[in-house]
Order: sequence, then C-alpha cells, then structure tokens
Amino acid sequence: MPTIKNDTLTTEIKPDWGEIDHVRERTETFLKSCGFSDDIIHALQMVSSELVENAVKYGDFSAGGNQKITHSVDVRDGRITVEVKNPVKPSDEDHLDRLDSQIQWIRGFQNPFEAYVEKLKEVSAKMLAAGESGLGLVRIAYEGQSILDFYVDDHNILAVSAVLEYK
Amino acid sequence: MSEPKVFSSQALTIKVREDGPGFILEWTGKSNEREPGKFITPILTEIMEKAGQNPVVLDFGNLEYMNSSTITPIIRILDTAKKNKQKIKILYKKALKWQDLSFSALTIFKTEDGQISIEGV
Repeated sequence: MPTIKNDTLTTEIKPDWGEIDHVRERTETFLKSCGFSDDIIHALQMVSSELVENAVKYGDFSAGGNQKITHSVDVRDGRITVEVKNPVKPSDEDHLDRLDSQIQWIRGFQNPFEAYVEKLKEVSAKMLAAGESGLGLVRIAYEGQSILDFYVDDHNILAVSAVLEYK
Repeated sequence: MSEPKVFSSQALTIKVREDGPGFILEWTGKSNEREPGKFITPILTEIMEKAGQNPVVLDFGNLEYMNSSTITPIIRILDTAKKNKQKIKILYKKALKWQDLSFSALTIFKTEDGQISIEGV
C-alpha cells in the first residue's frame, strides 16, 4: 500500500436526499487524495451513503431544531472513521433502541458475512419493506468491513460511526 | 428482434432486450433513490410475466453503485422466480470488489438445478 496521509474531511449538509450523491463524491475525492485504493474508496463511499441515508430518514429536522447533518471521514494511524451526526427527538427511543439492537446483533456474529446472509434471509422471509430491513447497517459491517458504534450527546445529537482498519 | 426498451429513473438505467425467447436486463449508472423499488419492481414484474418459463438475465456488470434499498426488490424477484419455477440469472463483475461482495452473497438463493443462478464474470 502506498503511503497514506492522515487527514480529516468534515462537511455539513442539508437533510436532503440529493445531498447523498455529493457526500459520495466528496468522500471519493478525499480518500483519493489520501492515497487509498479504489476498493477501499468504493467501500467507504457506500458506508458514507448508508449512514447519511439513515440520518436523512430518521433525523429530527423539525422547524426550530438543528437543520443539518455532519459527515466526517477521519484517516488516522491505520484507521478510517466515518461519522455521521444528526439531531434526534429526545422521545424517539424506538429508533435508538432499534439502532442499538441492530448493532449488538451484528456484533454477535464472528464474521459479518454471516450476519449479512442472515439479514438477506430475513428480508426474504419476512417481506420487510426496504427501509425497515436494517440491511444498510449489516452491509456497512460486511462490505464496508467496518465496526459500528453510536452515542447520543446532551444536545440530542446522534453520532453513528463506522471504523475500518486498513493496516 | 425488436429494439431494446430503455427505462430510466434519476441516475439508474435498465435496458431490456430480447434474447431469443428470454430477456436480458442491463443495469447501468447508480441506484440511489430513497425507494428504488417503486421504479425497479414494476419493470422486473412485467418482464418476468412476459418471460414465462423462458430465461431472464439481470446483468449488473456495468452498475456503478446501488444502495441497500435496491437489494430488497432484487431479493423479491428471486423469491418470485423460485416460487413460479422461472429461470433467472444474476451476472456481476467479479473484478469489482463491491459487486463481488454484494452479489456473491445472493448465492444463498441459487438452486441446484440452475433455475436461479448467480454468476460473477
């Protein structure tokens, strides 16, 4: 692998579906400038896309609140961390519980491929709607080879991160 | 043979061409809509109905990107084909790592008799 440059990309975007393409483009340009291969760039474009899609779908952008999503990609010491932050309703415990249980469920598998296959079977068997399948998070773990985590701060900002180790 | 039919929605194009008695669907561009099934499912359903017992090929080799919401309608059509004993083949580009990871996992839906097949080329 060529020498990788440590750097950070941080962008604030509107909660608009059309912004997701721009996020993917900016992620590509940034990771290319750091010296990563096409395979890693494709994987992290997908990770960025899926996390921002979730932020647009489930964030709380009601009037008067915080109207933005923050997307960042941090390259440091053999790790690439993609983080997406968005406001959530304090009362939206269902969404946070679902996110927590999905991440714990994925971590329960030794190999994320097994989690992905299980999820595909579940989507097939339960006739789940695309949005409620949780396939995006499992895909981040499997195709994106990333470890997922999240927290909610005191200002009700949800931060979901995906960490890929490339060394 | 009739001219190929081209269906486009935002960044995704699906070109449908007849291949003998069957059909080949070539996917190009990016599938990144919020609900891609609204565009994809009616096309796939219509082609599967027209094809009957003749083979249908879904060629993803030139697809640049798809979001996870795109996978659901693909799984649905594999399920339908299996139930109706229709022939369907998924082609993808093995050299592209994202395609290899995404589509090779769909081998869980393939059948021993080749009715449903997933092939990296």
